[in-house]
Amino acid sequence: MAQAAWEKPNSSPLTAAAAAPRSERLKFLIGGGLILVAIIALIATGMSQGARFFITVDEVVEESRYLGQPVRVSGAVLGDTIVYDENTLTIEFTVVHIPEGQDITGETLFNAVNDTDATRMRVRVEGQTKPDLLRHEAQAIMSGTMGSDGIFLASELQLKCPSRFIEGAANQTGSVGAE
Amino acid sequence: MFAELGIVLQVLAFAASIYATAAAFFSTRSHSERLLISARNAALLTFPLLLGAAGVLLVLLVQQDYQVEYVWQVTDPTTPLFYRITALWGSQQGSLLFWNVTMSGFAFASLLLNWRENHRLMPYVIIFQMATMAFFGGLSLFGESPFARFWITPIDLTTAQLAPHLLIPPNSEIPPLYVPEGTGGLFAQGGLAQTANGLNPLLRHFGMIIHPPMLYLGFVGFLIPFAYAMAALASGDLTTNWIKATRRWTLIAWLFLSLGLILGGRWAYDVLGWGGYWGWDPVENAAFIPWLVGTAYLHSVMIQEKRGMLKTWNMFLVIFTFSAVLFGTFATRSGLIESVHSFAQSQIGFPMFAFWLVMTLIGVWLIMWRRSRGELSDEHQFTGWLSREAMFVLNNVVFVALALAIFWGSFGAPVISTLFMDTEITLGAAYFNQVTVPLFAAMYILMGVAPLAAWGIMSARRLGKSLIVPLALTAFGVVVAVLLGAQTPGTMFAYGIVLLAGFVALYEIYRGARARTMTTGEALPQALVNIFGRNRRRYGGFLVHLGIVVIGLGVIGSTAYQDDLIQRLLPGESARIGRYDVRFDSLDLGQIADDGRLMDIANLTIFRDSAEVQHIRPRIDHYPEMAVTIPGAHSTLEGDVYVLLSGYDEVAGSSVTLHIYLNPLINLVWWGGLILIVGTFVAAWKDDRATERARAPIRNDTRAGAAA
Repeated sequence: MAQAAWEKPNSSPLTAAAAAPRSERLKFLIGGGLILVAIIALIATGMSQGARFFITVDEVVEESRYLGQPVRVSGAVLGDTIVYDENTLTIEFTVVHIPEGQDITGETLFNAVNDTDATRMRVRVEGQTKPDLLRHEAQAIMSGTMGSDGIFLASELQLKCPSRFIEGAANQTGSVGAE
Repeated sequence: MFAELGIVLQVLAFAASIYATAAAFFSTRSHSERLLISARNAALLTFPLLLGAAGVLLVLLVQQDYQVEYVWQVTDPTTPLFYRITALWGSQQGSLLFWNVTMSGFAFASLLLNWRENHRLMPYVIIFQMATMAFFGGLSLFGESPFARFWITPIDLTTAQLAPHLLIPPNSEIPPLYVPEGTGGLFAQGGLAQTANGLNPLLRHFGMIIHPPMLYLGFVGFLIPFAYAMAALASGDLTTNWIKATRRWTLIAWLFLSLGLILGGRWAYDVLGWGGYWGWDPVENAAFIPWLVGTAYLHSVMIQEKRGMLKTWNMFLVIFTFSAVLFGTFATRSGLIESVHSFAQSQIGFPMFAFWLVMTLIGVWLIMWRRSRGELSDEHQFTGWLSREAMFVLNNVVFVALALAIFWGSFGAPVISTLFMDTEITLGAAYFNQVTVPLFAAMYILMGVAPLAAWGIMSARRLGKSLIVPLALTAFGVVVAVLLGAQTPGTMFAYGIVLLAGFVALYEIYRGARARTMTTGEALPQALVNIFGRNRRRYGGFLVHLGIVVIGLGVIGSTAYQDDLIQRLLPGESARIGRYDVRFDSLDLGQIADDGRLMDIANLTIFRDSAEVQHIRPRIDHYPEMAVTIPGAHSTLEGDVYVLLSGYDEVAGSSVTLHIYLNPLINLVWWGGLILIVGTFVAAWKDDRATERARAPIRNDTRAGAAA
């Protein structure tokens, strides 16, 4: 009878047996349904605004359907191609396609930048200072759109260098204009 | 051979946890008290054994034994002692061992403290706790051993082959192929020290030192309520016994998890250099989801205690809190999701996924089984939308919706699109802001209204009447906010609902103290102290609400009114942001810090309304492998002027490029966190009233246990 001792005595005039009338139950069901619909609608509108396709350099360069669409692309950075204009705060660099279906390691990135046949893409980031991690053989994850001039305009740039500090929070995120 | 001692201790702990699981299981069949005690003792033993193993790793780290791969990976000869110690949880293998130690510590404490009161639940508690321990112990032993070592063997230099007759122990690793000049021997100790990695520079921060252990304590702490809930389901003791036994454990786990989340935010703000503290990163979300489900549980469990309702729902919540912990651990440690926390890809992904799935399915199956037998039926029905219990249900809907929406955005959408479409869809910050802001708004509104509603039946009129004072105060607060700069209807509304929740909490505390002065004749301050002593859960809860309110004010201020600019400055030039001017004075290049890293520092002066307020020195730290941008900040309750040294003219050394953020009210986030933690402490502390009454119920329970 520990249960009875624990419960607050006379906490309610209703007893356990008293069931809510049918109309009351219906009201709760309708209310619950409305809440559910509202939450689903919320998630749906959120998705229509925030969804970005995560695609490869090959896809964004070769498939015209991605032209002007918000996408996320991952590529390996070519160190020699990085140009940073401190006055206009514009960064430009070239990324190389990383083959799919592999874990991104220092080796994958090394192979990617040394593959002369792999697709390359010019990237421009505006209004941002050059991140520390932007360098040769870094993995760049860029959110933005492909322009008709063939240059990918990134609004958000994340960089990863899996070469040495493979674990922990080893990455720096740079972002502009996205939020 | 010291590393092997660690392995031996881990093996013993692993064996003890398996034995405890099996012995506890058979004790439920044979009803053998001796077997149960034996199971308990084995379960208790895991903690000292694992503590010993962690001690061994600590000694190896401090002694710089670079033959041990983990030591080699997370430290180097320049690492100061402090970071050698904290390197214990600096990477996957060590943190997994640390996880094991803390988990066994929680199990140890709960077995000792709750042994007599919850005798009937105990065999099952041991089964679920120790099965989990065995899983994680096995993971550390066989998957991610912190004691793997580079095996130094005589090598036949002509063929570069390991001498074949040597017995190579199972924890041996092939050393990195690197021959340091002048060390003579291949793979000699000195060579290993030279190639050692060192702790990731980004992790050398106060917040990062205590953020992971706090988070782990929060995660593993939820094992206790989970194990008790499963034990209640398995044993059939579905009274509120398991809830009473785990209430405090749940609060402690929740406290650590909250602390871990807040410290993580602080670390991101201080080190990652993007001017914010929360980025909706999958790893952050993985820790936030159990917090949300756990918070829902902490609220709805009160309905079960007071009214005997929502029994099935509470079981779901407590089981899914731990399930979310397991899933989050799996998702972040297996490399499932691209994240700014790039944890290594590892082999433990599949076993972790399997364990998560099995535990969750067992939990759900047990709930359905008990439910089908009618053992989880409610004792009361809902009586109206305005009753306290209905408000709690709405609160639960909000928290669970938040958890599901965040889960869907971080894991659901990317994984499902990868599996079933030929592309991966990720959802960015726009999704999370769109979906969570209305839900958080609903949370604050409920936080304002629900504490005023009564159990059972509540009329709209009575509720409205008790809202008059807090609403009046809120109206005043909103006017003040508008005068201070809140202009848009959105922020006015946001400040309004957050302030209402705060004023309701304050008003309820005041009313409680006031009522006490009436009945006891005490002075108000004395009454205030006493009500906190006598009903810690209620008033501690209000303090937690106040903490969340203060955090909310900070979040609104620092998101809605954040401002930033990037500007290049010559010495003596200033940049203006808000009421502040940031003047560039000089640049110190190549300064040498204690640990040998080079620092480039900009000397800046901050002016507020043209009056000098502070000198700050944002800098760039150069480590051999990377550079880290450390912000300088002028920090007041009003807000932070947060400056990053983004670049400088290296040739002339004369100009700098600064990224300046103005983050209004951001410090309220940290202060709110502090209030929240104090409040949780108050709520988790034993009630004065409960201590007075403590003896009688315990005697009752043991009698009930003996009878069973």
